[in-house]
Amino acid sequence: MSIKKRPVILDGDPGHDDAIAWVLAASMPEFDIKAITTVAGNQTLAKVTYNARRIAALLHLDVEVAKGRAVPLMSDLIIAPNFHGESGLDGPKLPEPEHPESSLSAIEMMAKVLQESEEKVTIIATGPQTNVGALLLTHPELKEKIEVISTMGGGIRNGNWTPAAEFNILVDPEASYLEYHSGVPVQMCGLDVTEQAIVYPEDWERIRALNNPVAKTVAEWFDFFFIHLSELGWKGATLHDPCAVLSLIHPEIFDIRDYYVTTELSGLYTRGETVADVYGITGNKPNCKAVVGLDRQKFVDYLVEACAKFEGWEVNL
Amino acid sequence: MKKIPVWIDTDCGVDDAMALLLAFRLPELEIVGLSAVAGNVTLENTFRNTRDIAALAGRKDIPVYKGADRPWIVEPRRAEYVHGADGLGGAEIAHSDAPEAEGHAWDALYQCAKKYPGELQVVAVGPLTDVANAVIKYPDLPQYVKGIHIMGGVAAGPGNTNMTAEFNIMGDPHAAACVFKSGIPVTMAGLDVTLKAHLNKEEVEAIASTDNKVCKLISQATRNTLALYKQLGLGEIMCMHDSCPILNLAHPEFFSGKEAGVHVETTGVETLGKTVCDLYSDGKHGVKNTTVLLDCDREAIVKLVSEIYTTYEA
Repeated sequence: MSIKKRPVILDGDPGHDDAIAWVLAASMPEFDIKAITTVAGNQTLAKVTYNARRIAALLHLDVEVAKGRAVPLMSDLIIAPNFHGESGLDGPKLPEPEHPESSLSAIEMMAKVLQESEEKVTIIATGPQTNVGALLLTHPELKEKIEVISTMGGGIRNGNWTPAAEFNILVDPEASYLEYHSGVPVQMCGLDVTEQAIVYPEDWERIRALNNPVAKTVAEWFDFFFIHLSELGWKGATLHDPCAVLSLIHPEIFDIRDYYVTTELSGLYTRGETVADVYGITGNKPNCKAVVGLDRQKFVDYLVEACAKFEGWEVNL
Repeated sequence: MKKIPVWIDTDCGVDDAMALLLAFRLPELEIVGLSAVAGNVTLENTFRNTRDIAALAGRKDIPVYKGADRPWIVEPRRAEYVHGADGLGGAEIAHSDAPEAEGHAWDALYQCAKKYPGELQVVAVGPLTDVANAVIKYPDLPQYVKGIHIMGGVAAGPGNTNMTAEFNIMGDPHAAACVFKSGIPVTMAGLDVTLKAHLNKEEVEAIASTDNKVCKLISQATRNTLALYKQLGLGEIMCMHDSCPILNLAHPEFFSGKEAGVHVETTGVETLGKTVCDLYSDGKHGVKNTTVLLDCDREAIVKLVSEIYTTYEA
């Protein structure tokens, strides 16, 4: 029996954890990846777009990569070179892109995929939510074609870039706000879960030992990503973005709660915080499936399993 | 043993009253002054309750000063649904006949601090308006006050007033922001610890059924409390919110916490009044102005408070 595939768009700012999220997505028979769109965040738009095209080449993804917005909807861009290096994806050598960049913008590409798809499309957005926010604003007629926006961003308990705000949401709080108030189902993997999605060096040695080209690349991404995290005191690599992929396919290993969530747009100290109504104080109906916990060991096992699927893979370096 | 001189500023409600009744009987502490601030109920009521509770405990000798009748900027916010219109859940209590202390709370607090330079511990269990007024009026206050010990805020977790803010801080977020920036070390007993410092139903009933004047008051004042907590989904418990900073002064071994940077959000739409704490974030505020209490020895607290309440005079 063949698995029913769900059409997905991968939107991100790769980025080591975006890249690993996309490896995971590419390995899943449940997904039919329709397009990749990029957004400025971890590095500048030109750099993350080049990275996205190289990742697509590594994974032999026969899809177009469409460049998104270079800046947030209305804020100045923040980037994170201390985590991801000058290229935005420092570490192992990657194959050069196989396909030219799409002539469409990310918004046009997303709209085209939604328009052409008979089924609803899942958008996995693992960078600032700029492209998705722009899509919702400019193609309101396509909202109903979106199955769910699965986002890595925010944190109910705490932030990381500031005490209250997580990086992706801090970069473009308005875009995040538009998602939560769009009526489209949103699944949120915030720091509540992603800081529990810790992969330790012994875990990624399991991946390296698989000894296929993708697994080796993933292990070397971990090596690089962990450098700055270990300086901050982390004992392993917090694998933020892959949660947004895996929680769609294996919700049973995650703790998922229905909350009303919104994004703070003001605030001296809290701009970009995702605020959740845990006690039901506002009377607002839940608009979000907030992922707040996971079974770490099973998460790691799925990751290793995903990397094992690239056995015998050929890569032209 | 030298007693710790303590000033308590309160918006005397039910759990404030229970905190005061502990404070008067903790041998480690010397309560040297009291002040009332508007919060849970109006200033008129918090002032009367503070005086009446002091009198009930036989401490009419401690002066009670009147503080601010409203927050600095935000509209007043009351919790009459928790504490009753009078602030003591309609409990019967004799009114104090002590002479009313003259002067503003913040002036009296400052004068008191100068009497105990470097030693005075200020406990504030309501909105921080009075303490902030002392801070802005007396720039040299930090050299006299050893620490400010508040019940308020929450470091990690939902608020109980808006989605992110705790009631006392929300009661006067701007004053709270001023206090956290004052340079005086703050010890914050927020919801992180005060929800853990609770009495369960049996423990409340054991106290309430004891035949003395204090337990009788507690019995009447807490009639609705268990039901209220149950309604909030927290179980049939009663949190000793305001007792935490007082117990922590007398028995720091009951509590554990961490140094952190805390600022109060005053401009957020959804986050007004949030105590933004940098404990769990890579990004830090650049100051460590606060000791955030995070955990407590509930059993030890229950044992001590039960003993104090039940051994009051008939």
